[in-house]
Amino acid sequence: MAWNRLTPAGRALAVLLPVLAIGGALTTVLLATFGGAIAATIGANLPIVRFLVAAVVTFLISVPVAFLLIYMEMKIIALMNLRIGPDRIGPAGAVMSVVHGLKVLMKEDYTPPSVDVPVFTLAPVVVYLASFMTLLVIPFAPELTSMGFELGLLYFFAIGGLSVVGLMMAGWSSFNKYSLLGGIRAAAQAISYEIPLTLSVVGIVILTGTLSLPKIVAAQDGSFLDWFIFRQPLAAIIFFIAITAEANRTPFDNAEADQEIVAGFATEYSGMRFGFFFFAEYVNVFIVSALFSAVFLGGSNPPIHIDVNPQILIDLSALGIGLPLIAGIAPVLGTLLFAAPIWFASSRVKGWQALVAGFLIFGGVSTAAVGIWAFVMLPPVASLIWFLIKTFALVFTFVWMRGTLPRARIDQLMGFAWKWLLPASLLNIFATAFAVLIAGR
Amino acid sequence: MTQQMRPSLDDPRVAIPAESTWYEPAPIPQTERQAEFLTLREGEMFVNMGPQHPSTHGVLRVIIKVNGEKVVDLDPVLGYLHRGVEKLCENADYHQAICYTDPLEYVASLFCEAAPVAAFEKLMDVEVPLRAQYIRVLTMELNRIASHTLFQGWMALDLGGITPILWAFIERDEIVDMLAALTGQKLLYNYYRIGGVNGDLNHEFMSRLGTWMSRAAAQIDSNLALINENEIFVRRTRGLGVLDAKTALKMGVTGPNLRASGVPYDLRRDRPYLVYPELEFDVPTRDEGDSLARYLVRMDEIKQSIRIIDQVLHEMPDGPVMAKLPRLLRPRPGRAFGAVEGPRGVYGTYAISDGTDQPFRMRIHDPSFVHLQLVGPLTKGNLIADTMAVMASLDPVMGGVDK
Repeated sequence: MAWNRLTPAGRALAVLLPVLAIGGALTTVLLATFGGAIAATIGANLPIVRFLVAAVVTFLISVPVAFLLIYMEMKIIALMNLRIGPDRIGPAGAVMSVVHGLKVLMKEDYTPPSVDVPVFTLAPVVVYLASFMTLLVIPFAPELTSMGFELGLLYFFAIGGLSVVGLMMAGWSSFNKYSLLGGIRAAAQAISYEIPLTLSVVGIVILTGTLSLPKIVAAQDGSFLDWFIFRQPLAAIIFFIAITAEANRTPFDNAEADQEIVAGFATEYSGMRFGFFFFAEYVNVFIVSALFSAVFLGGSNPPIHIDVNPQILIDLSALGIGLPLIAGIAPVLGTLLFAAPIWFASSRVKGWQALVAGFLIFGGVSTAAVGIWAFVMLPPVASLIWFLIKTFALVFTFVWMRGTLPRARIDQLMGFAWKWLLPASLLNIFATAFAVLIAGR
Repeated sequence: MTQQMRPSLDDPRVAIPAESTWYEPAPIPQTERQAEFLTLREGEMFVNMGPQHPSTHGVLRVIIKVNGEKVVDLDPVLGYLHRGVEKLCENADYHQAICYTDPLEYVASLFCEAAPVAAFEKLMDVEVPLRAQYIRVLTMELNRIASHTLFQGWMALDLGGITPILWAFIERDEIVDMLAALTGQKLLYNYYRIGGVNGDLNHEFMSRLGTWMSRAAAQIDSNLALINENEIFVRRTRGLGVLDAKTALKMGVTGPNLRASGVPYDLRRDRPYLVYPELEFDVPTRDEGDSLARYLVRMDEIKQSIRIIDQVLHEMPDGPVMAKLPRLLRPRPGRAFGAVEGPRGVYGTYAISDGTDQPFRMRIHDPSFVHLQLVGPLTKGNLIADTMAVMASLDPVMGGVDK
């Protein structure tokens, strides 16, 4: 039979092509028949559709963010430890964390006997869900906020607090004493630090009169002196310490202190279920850094407003038929232009090597040119870049702390939250309220 | 057909059903202390740490009885690394016995050689040439620095800091490479011989030593600056696991752990051996007796060791490095005890000769074994995390404990 002589790729094609053809035809018929009804439903339920799309998009961006952060942490801590760190896969080991992710996917996903299976399976899902759902309200730029609703800050704290439930589920269902200790530590720590975390931003809520994150960012418009870190320094310090504890980062990583309780709540997990915990931790780091930069560092506002207002208007339509011609010729010409001096400079460089180098240089230069043009001309791009610069500066701080500090003990941790951070945040609220009463907003 | 007949663990008929309540049978208590340890009161549970646990050095197993986070009682279980070194030594001749004692303390193995060598030399009335004595002091002090720098990294690692151990390993690696150039081995040197040392100082060792000495003090200071003033580190170790001088002496504690309790007892000064009487050095002590003091005493000792190395390099005479000895050593019947001050305390060897070429009996005193019994009394009433801080500050090495 012909089927037996087909290669695997041929078989896949032989199956896929009819399926695609029939599917396409059916979709067309369906759209032609019910298209109007579907459009009407979407139009009527726009908030729900918007929420679903935003959730899918945030889920999709959370994974590369986690990869990037894992790579950053590996490389920066390696440099602080006077090691080289990952350097084999990709340029300077940049793909290492992706390979780690693939490895975790392919490992055996072992469920030990005598665990509470449904809870054990659901726990990583809950933890990851709680992490990436908080990404919804992060105002990357005024135009790039997934869900800029009015109670953004409250939503953030509420959903972010849900991850404790997942950690407790993992700790309890694992049937392991280390997991139990880790889960209970995580719960105690997260609940204790949730209070100063929430109270520390009350001062800002008093000042701005809103809980919406885009509006808080908009309230910091102006020079960098308008950022809340300078108007609410005590709140910023409390907030930073509390988010460190919330994200389970050194020096407050007692929930997974490997020298004490092996891996804490994740002790019995392996494979992708462990991967979810691992990813959630790094997504959390990104999210709390983003929140700090939105609330205290002016978010997407640039440090100084420069009113140059350049008008680099490129009217591409005026070129007419010349546009495709230029688009075709420019890369070739650019490659030759950059390759020529390299080829002439040294007789040891072969022609193809010069061409490859020229192509890479042309690519870099043109990308940089487009990037600068976008930064200058498109406000969302500039805002996003400022936001990411601030966020990654904070991520670097977290990694730096991980490389530098030993771990605090659990009782010192709790004592610090209740004895120092809570009174300090209350003091901050009263001082801010007094100032607003006397001087006005 | 045969393939299908082979039983598989995946086969539901063969597989053992996993029950939801699966426990080890409770051990039957043998002693009164064990019976007390095994009784669980309300809210207490056992947590088993080791022999495979991230922070037990080597293969120590510690059973901790906890009430929440608080350690109520603690029981170290030893013997996972037992090789029967003492018995092996009785069936080896005097030279061979030295290489059996070598791996006892794998982080400072020169001291484990020095103790039996000292005992055997006393047994045989051997006069060690002066140059060999200087070389022994030089290599031992180098090994002490290597051990203490490693301790610094371990201590920080057990408290959750990940960078200090990698910084500390730079110094340790340099010293280990240096000694490897001299002895041919990186860890278990087997360098000391009865009546001297195996080979004179060579060029590579001396050039590496010179380069290292020119920057050692500054490097070690920068390592110390990484954690010595760290608020979290100091808060976690100050006042933790306080060992008073009386208890320490009663328990037979020696070395830095004893000096951290305020007893300035150092074998190098109080029972001098080799050329230590001619060298100038201080015996650093602390009065607090807590984990921080034990850590700081060791860090001060590094500086004194550098001072000793400096003097040794200036005063080392020329001459042979090995005494003239017969190939087969048959000491007169008798007994001898040799001891040296190691990085963890007093290493002692008690050897009895019956006139043959093998020791009739050989007993090894290892300080880590003595110090490990302190883990229980010092951690009771503290938290789980403190167990690690106390254990790290006592600095036991399981190779020596289990012998």
